[in-house]
Amino acid sequence: MSHDFSPNPQKWLTIGILGLAISLIGFLVDTQIAAWSYLIGLIFVTSIAIGMLFLVMIHHIFDAYWSVIVRRQAEHYLSALPYLGILFIPLFALTYLKDQGLIWLWMDQSASLHGHGTVASDILYQKKTWWLSESFFWFRAVFCFAVWIYFARTFRRNSFSQDSDGSLNHTYSSRNHAAAGLILVALTWTAAAFDWIMSLEYHWFSTMFGVWMFASAMRAALAVMILTCAFLVAKGPLKGIFNTKHLHDVSTLAFAFTVFWAYITFSQYFLIWNANIPEETFWFNDREQGIWWPISMILIFGYFLFPFLYMLQFPLKTNYQSMTFMAIWLLSMNLLDVFFNILPSLKDSHGEPFQMFSSPLNVLWYIGGVLGAGGILLWAYWSSYGNTKIIPIRDPRIEECLNHNH
Amino acid sequence: MAKQYGLIAKFDSPADIMHAAEKVRDAGYKNWDVITPFPIHGMDAAMGLKRSLVGRFTIVGGTIGITTGMLMIWFTGGSELSLPFMEGYKLIVGGKPFFSPQFAFPVSYELTILFSAFASIGGMFILNRLPRHHHPFLKYKDVAKGTDDSFFLYIENVDPQFDEEKTRSFLDGLSSGEVRELED
Repeated sequence: MSHDFSPNPQKWLTIGILGLAISLIGFLVDTQIAAWSYLIGLIFVTSIAIGMLFLVMIHHIFDAYWSVIVRRQAEHYLSALPYLGILFIPLFALTYLKDQGLIWLWMDQSASLHGHGTVASDILYQKKTWWLSESFFWFRAVFCFAVWIYFARTFRRNSFSQDSDGSLNHTYSSRNHAAAGLILVALTWTAAAFDWIMSLEYHWFSTMFGVWMFASAMRAALAVMILTCAFLVAKGPLKGIFNTKHLHDVSTLAFAFTVFWAYITFSQYFLIWNANIPEETFWFNDREQGIWWPISMILIFGYFLFPFLYMLQFPLKTNYQSMTFMAIWLLSMNLLDVFFNILPSLKDSHGEPFQMFSSPLNVLWYIGGVLGAGGILLWAYWSSYGNTKIIPIRDPRIEECLNHNH
Repeated sequence: MAKQYGLIAKFDSPADIMHAAEKVRDAGYKNWDVITPFPIHGMDAAMGLKRSLVGRFTIVGGTIGITTGMLMIWFTGGSELSLPFMEGYKLIVGGKPFFSPQFAFPVSYELTILFSAFASIGGMFILNRLPRHHHPFLKYKDVAKGTDDSFFLYIENVDPQFDEEKTRSFLDGLSSGEVRELED
């Protein structure tokens, strides 16, 4: 394939390391905020990779043809999962060795709660100790990553080996793995949502939360997928391969998950609003204070209504420029949504939710957290990209995919 | 002899009729159609059809639906308006405000879907000029083949470009089979 475009993974590695360095400085200067920002960046980027994993599995389970060339891009992103797992180690180190209640307050049994006793004396904690124990928590984190990495490696190996030997067994293997993987990854991703985000505020509980995290991951992954494909078309490698019909299909998925996200988010809110039990409503009350109120409004209108009306329109869904804009918009809103779900769980000494821009320095730690994990993700993508064929040339459905234009 | 409706030509494969449709489109005919036993991908473009306008009906229906839902909940539970045969009656349910958008949302959402569906079906009927109980093709002697293994293309004689001789020789050039008259 002749094209002048050659990716430069090292650039992204540099950006990633720069971000990680900022976070490291943050750990020393402003430990708590920097650690939370790091967690936000890591969850945001991990959700992109997990969304890609879901996309690959959905492709295989439906034996889809139009998404064969799209799947190859997702497979490249999967190579980031082991590194993202490694990036969790600093969080372990900080909470296990330095200050146990730094991020997940319940890890510190002696932490005093605002207004009443300590974590250990809290009946709501005592009832949950079987799940919220530190060793079990870290075991689950390792187990989740082990499952994801196992499936990521399997799909990558099958797909890349097929490029050279063309054996159909790789396709069958992937399909079987997708069937098991959809269940296992759905469960582990739910566990991750409960552990990493919901247990930040261990009093609170929502059965919808895992589904919300799934919707969030899918939206982030589809936005990144649109950007990736649009970029590769503009730069040449996918020009004439990825056409507006493929773009239309990916955009339609992004549209579908816009509605799905709104449905899940509203259902979660509505059930809690309707039941009106203080144990549940406080989570939303915290998110109506200070800056979180305008942010929650931005999410309703900016992350649902505007993308919904925008992507309702066929001409906008089939145009690279308009979808590039929408993908950047969706990704920014997704990041804001992750902030919205995580950061207000951090409380000041009065038990009030942390305000996003309480100090200008916070923004630096936010940027560091997102850049660090984000740079690693793109470094992994471009490294994997450089080592393989640009499309799965011997996939049994590649011809149908390339002729996908009606 | 019955009145002429147009001229009809027979084709043997989807590819044949697709190429023929492209030529008819490029020749600038307006009142014509193809009859195939099954949907052929790409035929819309070959015939030069624009995107369906059904979506416009759908968005109007959906907007009316969400507005109806919101107004209905507000009227029945949050207002004291007097309408013919109806009275608004303020009622506290579950300790919630008389009216709140959250409360009205599930109903509005369902009505959005319902009205969108009605509008889509209604729009489809209007745009296709349905219901239509008869079409001249149904009297055509090969009508059964049009649902089995043959493909037909006809041009109506009301088409501004229609000319008995020219159109006949034009269709003759496209089709390997005979060009016949379609009676009204």
